[in-house]
Amino acid sequence: MTPTARRDPLALLALCIPLLGCALLVLVPLAVMVTVSFWERRLIGFEPALSLEAYRDFFSGVRLQVLFRSLGVAGLATALMLALAYPVAFVCAYRLPPRLTRLVLFLLAVPFLVNYIIRTFSWAGLLARNGAVNRLLQAGGLVEQPLDWLLFSDFAVYMGMLAAYMPFMVYPIWLSLSTIDRRLVEASWTLGEGPLATFLRVVLPLSLPGVAAALIFGFVSAFGEVAVPVILGGVGYQLLGNTITSSLDVLNYPLAAAMSTVAVLGMVGLLVLWLRLFDLRLFLGRVMGR
Amino acid sequence: MGLAVRGFLGLVLMFLYLPLLAPFSAALSDVDGHWSLAPLAAMAADPSLRSAIGNSLIIAVAVGLITPLLALACAQAVRTLAIQRSILVVVLLPLFVPGVSLGVALAVSFQVFGVIPSLATMVTAQVLWALPFAFLIVLTSMASFDTVLLEAAHTCGANRWQAFIEVELPLIRQGLGGAALFSVILSCNETIRTALVQGGNNTVATLIWSRYQQVGLGPELHALMALIIFLTLGLITALAVLETRRGR
Repeated sequence: MTPTARRDPLALLALCIPLLGCALLVLVPLAVMVTVSFWERRLIGFEPALSLEAYRDFFSGVRLQVLFRSLGVAGLATALMLALAYPVAFVCAYRLPPRLTRLVLFLLAVPFLVNYIIRTFSWAGLLARNGAVNRLLQAGGLVEQPLDWLLFSDFAVYMGMLAAYMPFMVYPIWLSLSTIDRRLVEASWTLGEGPLATFLRVVLPLSLPGVAAALIFGFVSAFGEVAVPVILGGVGYQLLGNTITSSLDVLNYPLAAAMSTVAVLGMVGLLVLWLRLFDLRLFLGRVMGR
Repeated sequence: MGLAVRGFLGLVLMFLYLPLLAPFSAALSDVDGHWSLAPLAAMAADPSLRSAIGNSLIIAVAVGLITPLLALACAQAVRTLAIQRSILVVVLLPLFVPGVSLGVALAVSFQVFGVIPSLATMVTAQVLWALPFAFLIVLTSMASFDTVLLEAAHTCGANRWQAFIEVELPLIRQGLGGAALFSVILSCNETIRTALVQGGNNTVATLIWSRYQQVGLGPELHALMALIIFLTLGLITALAVLETRRGR
């Protein structure tokens, strides 16, 4: 704490103006979105009203199925990502020397810096009928005909999501794992528990805040995904993300706003749940150094 | 380190890196599959691509300048004001809002307030997305700064501003640089949020995305993608090498 800043009104102002700006920049668009979701669509644009038309549109018929399918796909994709991210984080926290840990964590971040649309197109190129995977399988004599379920399928969509967001999930889990007091693990051994029991009863429970953060992050990303269903799912593969953009394409702003509002409410609900279950400061303690 | 651990990590990294090679074969061959530089030439001759590159550069510079400054103000506010939790929640919120929803929120707001889509609206969308990351980076670098030094500066007669510029800023400069770099990288990558507020302007990323949706990808766009992957990875490698050299 720097008490001097509190006494200095000018410094306080210099902090509060940008802070207020950021708060407005984040909160106002979300508030407008919620408001517009209750407005009515007109031939050109939309006009203020208090109507549930957009929600009725959303919750009836095919779009509701799209919502449920998005929840299902995002849930399964998140589970797959966790299944891969947890072992990676565990290995980084417990099995590697610190130098290599830094290198691996760095290498996991690098592909993320390449535009994810381009990464997704790369996957499409690999999985295509005449792509590298099929050519490799045929050259190896494993298949006679090229497999055509590799691209434009659920399989491709899950692969795309796994590649896009799994590395992100490693970091919070690693952060949680690496802050666990090693003496607790040693105590468990001393008390006669084997490695598996120690992991299940000591390490795993203590890493749950990171796991929960990772789950939320993975789920939010997969749930709102637009490019992966379009590029890897193929024509007609509808998830909530691309359904929202296509309703915006036909200028149905209230409907797009209503679908977005439901998506945001769901995610904020998850966030609030996480904040209630786990102490934010415990998790940010390492970042903020206290 | 066991063989199993090494193999496992190797496989995971291969899973992440091998796909990045895919656009290169399409970028360096003609329709019959022979080696060719024709896609690269077609790329260089595409006028809308050139304007997209210009837009990308302008937006990246703007995002790289604005975001770290906002992040710095927010991070300083976390240390100074008593409302830490609220600041953290508000600034980190865009991380938890699905990208498409944030894009829709901005697009609808601009529409309601009568703001015409321009490079400025695209910059706004990207700053909003980059801010949480820049904020966390600046916050991390400020955590290793001991505020006792500020007290010392005040004791020596410096005012708040002098204390910040002459004592704290030099020590957290790296964090600010990192935040700026990260903002630029995020700016070059951002597609979905930007595409919803782009109006008639294109960045390189939104150009690839809209071309795919309208006419499909030609060889010139594969060349572009290969070039972007090459440049990004090259830049990161160069920075990493510089960083390790300086560390020694």
